[in-house]
Amino acid sequence: MRRALVRFGLLVVTIGLLVFLILTQQALQDGLITAFVGGIRNQSAPVLVYSVDGQRTLQGSVIAPPLEQAVRTTPGVGATARIGQGTFTVRVNGGPEKDAAIVGSSDPTLGTPTTLTAGRRPRAAGEAVGSAVDYSVGDRVTVLASTKGAAPVTITVVGLARDIQLNVTPTLFTDLATYEASVRAANPDATAVLPNAIGVRPAPGVDAKQLAARIDAASPEADALLRQQAADEAPGVAQVRQSFQVIFLLYALVVPLVTGLFFLIITLQKANALTLLRAVGARSAVLTRALLIQVVVVIGLGLVVGIALYTPLSQAKVGSLALRFDTTAVIVWSVLLMVLGLASALVSVHRVLRIDPIEATTGAGVR
Amino acid sequence: MRLALRELRRRPGRFAVAAVILTLIAMLLMFLGGLLDGLLGSSTGAYRAQRADLIVYSTDARTSLVRSRITPEQRRQVEGVEGVTATGGIGSVQLGGRLGDQPASRTLIPTALFGYELAPRGLPATPPASGTVIADSSLKAHDVKLGTTLLLGPQRSPVKVVGFVDDTRYSGQGTLWGSLDTWRRVLAANIPSQAVGNDVVQALAVRTSGAAPSTVGGAIDRATAGTTDTLTLTAATNALPGVSQQQSTFEQIIGVTLVIALVVVGLFFALITVERTALYGILKAIGASSWTLFAGVVAQAVVVTLFASAIAAAVALLLDALIPPGTIPFDATPSRIASSVLLLILAAVAGCAFSLRRVLRIDPAAAIGTAS
Repeated sequence: MRRALVRFGLLVVTIGLLVFLILTQQALQDGLITAFVGGIRNQSAPVLVYSVDGQRTLQGSVIAPPLEQAVRTTPGVGATARIGQGTFTVRVNGGPEKDAAIVGSSDPTLGTPTTLTAGRRPRAAGEAVGSAVDYSVGDRVTVLASTKGAAPVTITVVGLARDIQLNVTPTLFTDLATYEASVRAANPDATAVLPNAIGVRPAPGVDAKQLAARIDAASPEADALLRQQAADEAPGVAQVRQSFQVIFLLYALVVPLVTGLFFLIITLQKANALTLLRAVGARSAVLTRALLIQVVVVIGLGLVVGIALYTPLSQAKVGSLALRFDTTAVIVWSVLLMVLGLASALVSVHRVLRIDPIEATTGAGVR
Repeated sequence: MRLALRELRRRPGRFAVAAVILTLIAMLLMFLGGLLDGLLGSSTGAYRAQRADLIVYSTDARTSLVRSRITPEQRRQVEGVEGVTATGGIGSVQLGGRLGDQPASRTLIPTALFGYELAPRGLPATPPASGTVIADSSLKAHDVKLGTTLLLGPQRSPVKVVGFVDDTRYSGQGTLWGSLDTWRRVLAANIPSQAVGNDVVQALAVRTSGAAPSTVGGAIDRATAGTTDTLTLTAATNALPGVSQQQSTFEQIIGVTLVIALVVVGLFFALITVERTALYGILKAIGASSWTLFAGVVAQAVVVTLFASAIAAAVALLLDALIPPGTIPFDATPSRIASSVLLLILAAVAGCAFSLRRVLRIDPAAAIGTAS
């Protein structure tokens, strides 16, 4: 390998680029899904009830009073909260206009972030917990009023939480009244501000899954989902996963094929030398071991290059999308690609094992 | 060159592995491209169909159609700007739909109802009568037919389909096109928090003449004292949620994949060239020029790439036909397949350049000595 640095170097760079692409796309997939539905996954209501018409999107769901009543009176419901959500144009600390998703809940213990990373929870109207990647404690967020002259609404960020974005937008969790005031400021023509979902906590001893089934049975308009289910089954999430899985599969096939091709050609090129080595007494195991060591070193270096390229990128923020270094993904892909790479070298190993030392006298070498 | 092509015919197995890898890479390129086209096509159809030069939003909406509100007063100001020849209100609302005979169904058809005044491509100049709509043809996959009544939203607002139009999807949903009156009524009934007043629309489609549309756009924003944000149709399409982000992300991934294709081709043909050093030496000794030999390598790379691309294109078209509507947004277009093939060929030719130095360096005398 030391004598043919360019040849092996090219392979290392190729594998490194492939590893970099795989890990980057894994980070993009995870970041995208978290930024889409993190606010649902990391809120405190174990069960979220949408209207069937909402098609499992918080903003698309509208809870009419009869549906709300049906949910409240379902046996096994411990507590409920009206949850509203919308996207608004805001200014943070008087800066440029930005988008913000505002989630309002009528119960501070339901439909709000489960864990804070800084600050405190809201105690009064006009206070909010913000997504940590977008806000700082003390930020003053002004929801712009429409051109009709309605008064703007100002929200103060008093706490921060990680992974609570919705729709890849900076997100604020506040009380329902502040949310409703924001809706009316943005659209004074609004004839009513109905909640988008009902957050439900089961009564003690009641299983959340069973309760969701009971709520669905209580009203044909209800679509009750467990927290994780609501996140996983949000429109777009499954499609994002499927699309990325096809891409991962293709990349995962390219790595062993490139490696296998490379070492097969190398083995063919070295046919005469390998035959001679066998003729002077080198055992097949020794030659095979040398080949496999080369495979491990090349893939190992490729992984190092790929991870080295991925590390700085994984700390980056793409728009409102925060990427993250995923140790599990790095380990899983490293092991998988190493195993696939070694498997791909089996063709070359087979060739080495087929070397007949007697061919050294005829010059036939590997066939 | 003839020798190189004959080698491909006589010993295709030698190129099989490279062909398989290139096929996978070509499939990746076409899949990524098809995915991008599918995503963009299903997100932007309603805008691409507009026969207008400009789209006017309210400034505080940040180019979000749902949040934008254009008042009658703003509209009058826009219409008074020199260069504006016609304006038409646009309104939209995304709602689940049910077939008329299944009002209790929990399976919904995702739709976006648009109200219009200036007819987009494929739609009649006069919007359909109140309560009737023209549906995007993608909704046929949901059993929507001519004469079907769709019940929209939680209030089951009925609209009757009186025609179809192609390629007008919006935000991944099949569109329904009706009058502004139909849109206002359905919006107020189903999402009261987004209701709009009489004569208020979400945006204006504007046709211009004379000056460049962007110049007229600037004049419109000045005439409304900055309360409007006017974009050219292309800019408005690119400003739709996620469009530019999807485009740049996918283009970067496609770029890196092309670099990998380049390296794979380079690696493969560099090694093949090493193997053939003695042969090339003999060919040079009997008069073949370095450029002739290199052209042979390039020809082999192009043929292998074309072969790989043909298989990948067939797979892409097959996928396009097999993927059910509403699942993976994949659209294999001829232009995307052609551009992927062209880029791959360029990458293959560039990859072959790695071998050029080796071919040029071959000394016929030394090579013949090695061969003997």
